[in-house]
Amino acid sequence: MTKDFKGGRGIFDIDLSVHEGEIFGLVGINGSGKTTMIRHLMGFLRPQHGRCQIMRRDCWQQAARLKNAIGYIPGEISFPEVGSGIDFFKLQAAYREARNMKRAEKLCERFNLDASANLRRMSKGMKQKTAIVTAFMSDPKILLLDEGTTGLDPLMQKVFTDLVKEERHRGKTVFMSSHMFDELENSCDRVAFLKNGHLIDIVELSQLRGNERVKEYKLGFANNQDFRSFLEHRFKVVARHDEHCQATIDIPDEDINELFRVLAVRNVSYITQKPQTLESYFKEKYNASEVAWS
Amino acid sequence: MISATLLKQTIRENFALWLVIALVQALLLVIMGLTVPNVAMTALTYYQLLPSILIGIYVIIIGNNLLSQQVDRGTMAYVLSTPIRRTSVSATQMVFFVGSLLLMFVLGAAAHIFAMNFSEAGITTEDVELILKLNIGLFTLALAFSGIVFCASSIFNLSKHTIAVGGGLVAAFLLLPIVAMFSEEFNWIKDLSIASLYDPMLLATGAEGFVWKFVVLAAIGIAAYGVGTVVFARRDLPL
Repeated sequence: MTKDFKGGRGIFDIDLSVHEGEIFGLVGINGSGKTTMIRHLMGFLRPQHGRCQIMRRDCWQQAARLKNAIGYIPGEISFPEVGSGIDFFKLQAAYREARNMKRAEKLCERFNLDASANLRRMSKGMKQKTAIVTAFMSDPKILLLDEGTTGLDPLMQKVFTDLVKEERHRGKTVFMSSHMFDELENSCDRVAFLKNGHLIDIVELSQLRGNERVKEYKLGFANNQDFRSFLEHRFKVVARHDEHCQATIDIPDEDINELFRVLAVRNVSYITQKPQTLESYFKEKYNASEVAWS
Repeated sequence: MISATLLKQTIRENFALWLVIALVQALLLVIMGLTVPNVAMTALTYYQLLPSILIGIYVIIIGNNLLSQQVDRGTMAYVLSTPIRRTSVSATQMVFFVGSLLLMFVLGAAAHIFAMNFSEAGITTEDVELILKLNIGLFTLALAFSGIVFCASSIFNLSKHTIAVGGGLVAAFLLLPIVAMFSEEFNWIKDLSIASLYDPMLLATGAEGFVWKFVVLAAIGIAAYGVGTVVFARRDLPL
């Protein structure tokens, strides 16, 4: 689908499908179109071309009906004037014609949230926790989480990530956006990279987590002589620090024994493998990408 | 079609202003009813100007609260993240808006009639009839004004635009007849305003020909509400 807000903003020719039961991440800098995509799924925006569906229902035409299955954390959180967090949960439950608040209570406990506080006096983190509880409390099949961890401390980010993973194990489908790579790296099955409204790449994280064919090793040598002689071999050096006798090389798995043979006769002080991160993966893509400001 | 939960929430958020305006009107009408023996006189002194201004204030603030402000602030996201259709949202807000205005004038008319019963002069059937005509007229005017602001509130994402356009129109309609009063030469200006369709002076003389004016006011209101509802259901919302 395409939604052109003019001036280069919007989302363009997005072609994407999310499988049932997976955690799908959306990453990109601010203004790359993450929120616009989620707003389409929520039926707040109508695509100019193309369409989006959830469970084979059109997100625009069947927006209200689909909400029975959707939990949502908005990118910008603003609560109505209702008093306390508990009052707000009750209001949202009433809209859904639900009465049971057990799950909301459990979630509050989990996030260490005192929901009896007045919404207006809540800190940013508390507001975010309130929004998280609201999204999960109706036990929806599908979760649309727009920057779900904004304002949370690292401990609470972990609680959030655990919750998301747990929901996946319970068969839920999660579609979440973030501008932080590591957050998605820890939880997602697949991650799509968005730049200037274009979908640049989709990565399966299982392929990334130590499974890449070319790996990066950092090597340190005890003396300059061994360091020099090591460099004479034709390994692909991506970084070197002569003063520390240190080199970083990229090496395909099939050449690893060759590396060990070379190292066996030299005085090595350390060797570490740097696992490829989502960030480093996308940074390469980002630079190589042909997509420019239109 | 309408959401009881949303209606309750809307009443909670807007009750205070309604109460203030409704009480001011009712109180003034009680005083008028007790002290002014002649309803035609009250039509000229009270019904001519003050209620339309109070209506103006009420519809601009509430009309903006009902839709535009909630989109502007983002709180609408929480209403629409539940299985409530957009048409239900606007229908519910409309029911509150029209209902609160209706109640306001029922209360006003009742207060006026009630107070006159206790006045020295007492009350006649003609008095009751005129009081009802005046309040029905006010209600149709309120329907038109509220429809205009509601329509603006459905169209704009930003409160300031709703207040500028919807509120601006209502304020202009209220001010034109006042400007016209300055000079005979400018008398035609008041015909530009839909507020002139509600004419207490004409009603006080007992003249016929007011019904179509009320119908026009009501029709403007209904049309504006209709347009607003359709626009709100079909447009993009930045939530």
